[in-house]
Amino acid sequence: MSPLQLSALVTIVATAAIITVGLPLAWLLARRRFPGRVLLETLILLPLVLPPSVVGYYLLMGLGEAGPLARAGVHLLFTWQGAALASAIVGLPLMVKSAKAAIASVDPVLEDAARICGSGEWEVMARITLPLARRGVVAGIVLGAARAFGEFGATLMVAGSIPGRTQTMPLAIYDAVQAGRYGDAHTLVLLTSVLAFLSLLAVAHLERDADGRAVQGTRAVDA
Amino acid sequence: METRPAARVPALRVNVRMRLPALVVEAHLEADNEVMVLFGPSGAGKTTLLNIVAGLARPDSGEIALEGQTVYRRDTGGPSRNVPARRRRIGYVMQQYALFPHMTALENVAYARRRDPERHARARDLLDLLSMGSHAAHRPSQLSGGQQQRVALARALAADRRILLLDEPFAALDAPMRDRLQADLARLRPELGLTVLLVTHRLEDAFALGDRLAVMRSGRIEQVGRVSDVFRRPATRGVAEAMGIRNLLAARVIASGDGSVVLDWDGLRLVAAASGSALPPDAAVTAYIQPEDVKIVYPDRPVSDAVAYNVIDGRVTSHHESASARVIQVALPNGREIEVRFPALSYRPIPLEPGCDVRVALRREGLTVLHAD
Repeated sequence: MSPLQLSALVTIVATAAIITVGLPLAWLLARRRFPGRVLLETLILLPLVLPPSVVGYYLLMGLGEAGPLARAGVHLLFTWQGAALASAIVGLPLMVKSAKAAIASVDPVLEDAARICGSGEWEVMARITLPLARRGVVAGIVLGAARAFGEFGATLMVAGSIPGRTQTMPLAIYDAVQAGRYGDAHTLVLLTSVLAFLSLLAVAHLERDADGRAVQGTRAVDA
Repeated sequence: METRPAARVPALRVNVRMRLPALVVEAHLEADNEVMVLFGPSGAGKTTLLNIVAGLARPDSGEIALEGQTVYRRDTGGPSRNVPARRRRIGYVMQQYALFPHMTALENVAYARRRDPERHARARDLLDLLSMGSHAAHRPSQLSGGQQQRVALARALAADRRILLLDEPFAALDAPMRDRLQADLARLRPELGLTVLLVTHRLEDAFALGDRLAVMRSGRIEQVGRVSDVFRRPATRGVAEAMGIRNLLAARVIASGDGSVVLDWDGLRLVAAASGSALPPDAAVTAYIQPEDVKIVYPDRPVSDAVAYNVIDGRVTSHHESASARVIQVALPNGREIEVRFPALSYRPIPLEPGCDVRVALRREGLTVLHAD
C-alpha cells in the first residue's frame, strides 16, 4: 500500500477506536461523580504532554513479545494495526476533552425533562444529550482524527517504518528527506498540510456554530 | 341492589422527609381531582417537593403514591421502592420550561407521545388548544417566555397524564397572558380530570386557580385548606406572615365566651369575635386585623356600630396615597403601630398627615384570633 492509503487506513481505524472508547469516557467524566474520576481523566490526557517516544515505549512494552497481548496470541508490533493503536491513544485525549466539555454544557434539566416524558437513559443520550452536544463531539472527533493522521513518534517505535506495510505519510516524509528524495517529500508535505488545514478549518466552523447556539435551558431561573 | 362506592384513593399522596444542606423538607399532602396550590416564600422547598414527587429528587424516607401506586417507599414498613421518573406517569412543567432547544414546538410536544403514530396530529391539536398552532414550526429560541410556557404546558398535557406538576407557571408572563393561561387551565383541568400541584409565591395565582391551598414554610406544610379559608383563618402566625397579612398582634386572653374574646394587647383591651373553641384565660395568642378593617372615627359624629368596639387614640406616623387607596400607619399608646387602609376618597375632612392625632376603631368582626402558634 502507498503511504497515503496506509495513512487513510490507520486514521479510519484509529478514529473508529477513538469514537468507541472516547464517547463513553467523555459522558462518564461529564455526567458522573465517582472516586478516581480526576485520576482517570489525567491518565487519558497524559499522551497530550508525554513525548511520543515515551508513549511508544509503553506500547512497545505492552505489545512486545514478553507483553500480555503477545502471550495471548495477538502480535501487533510492526503491523499497521499497531500503528493504528498508537495513533488512537495519541488522538483520544483531544476527542475526550472536547466531547466532555460539550456534554457538560448540556443543561441537565433538559435530560430530566426527557425522563419525565418517559425516556430511558439511552434515549436521553441519543435524542437529547448527544444532539445538543453534537458540534463539540464532532469537533473533538475531527481533532482526534487529525492528530491520529499526523502521528509519528509513537508509530515509529511500535510499527517501524516499513514501506508498503507500516510506512504512513509522516514516516514516508521523514524517509524521503533522509534519502534525499525531495520531490517525494514536497508532494507528501503539501498533501499533509492541506489535509491538516482543512480539518482545523472544519473544527473552527463547528466550534463557532456551537458557541452561537443556545444549548442551555431556554429561560434563566430567577430563584 | 345497593352498591357502596369504593373508598376513593387520592390521585396524589405524599408523605416524605428529605434533608438538604440548608433545609429539611418534611411534607404530608394529599390531592385529588383539584388544583392544589403550594404557596410560600422562595426557599421554602416548594420546587424540591415537586422534584420529589416527579422522581427527580430522592427523599430520605417516607412514601409517595400516585393514583394508588406506591412509587416511593422507604422506612415506613413494607419493601422499599423508588420508581424512576420516567415511569411515574406525571406531567411536569418546570420553572425553566426545559424545552428541547434543538426541536421545534411541535417536535417538543410530540416527544411526549413518541410511541404514538398519531403524535404529530395530537401535538398540533394541543398547540391549537393553547393558541400556539401558528408557532408549531418555531424553535424555543424564537418564542417569547409566554409562548414557551404554553408549549411546555402542551408537552406536559400530551402524554395524557392524570397528575400535573406546575412550577411557577405564570412567573414570566404579563398580566393578559397570565389571565388567558389561567382561564385555559381552569377550563381544561376538570375536563381532563387532572390533579394539579401548582407552585407559586403569588397569592393572586392561588385565588385565581386554587381549589385548595397548602402553605409551605421552611420545608414544612403548615396549613392546608380552601384558599379563602386559609386566607381568612390562617392557623399560625407563620401562615399569616406567609400570606402577607398585616397587623399581626401578639396578645393575651383575658376572658372568652358569649361569642367574643377579650384580649390584652400590650396594655390595650380589645374585643374580638370568637371563632371555634373557647380559649383559656391568660393564653398567649396571635391575632390579626386586615388594614381595611381598621376604621377611622370622626371626632364630631355619633358612634356607629362599625366603630363601637376597640376605639383607640393614636397618632399618624406615615401616609401613602395611590390612585385607589390611602394607607396610613398609626402609632398607638401601647407603643405598637397599626396599618389602616381605606378608599382614596374616604375621610377627606380628617387631617391624616404624619403627626396628626387620629382616633381608630378595630372592627370586632375583623379582629381574628389565630388558634395555635
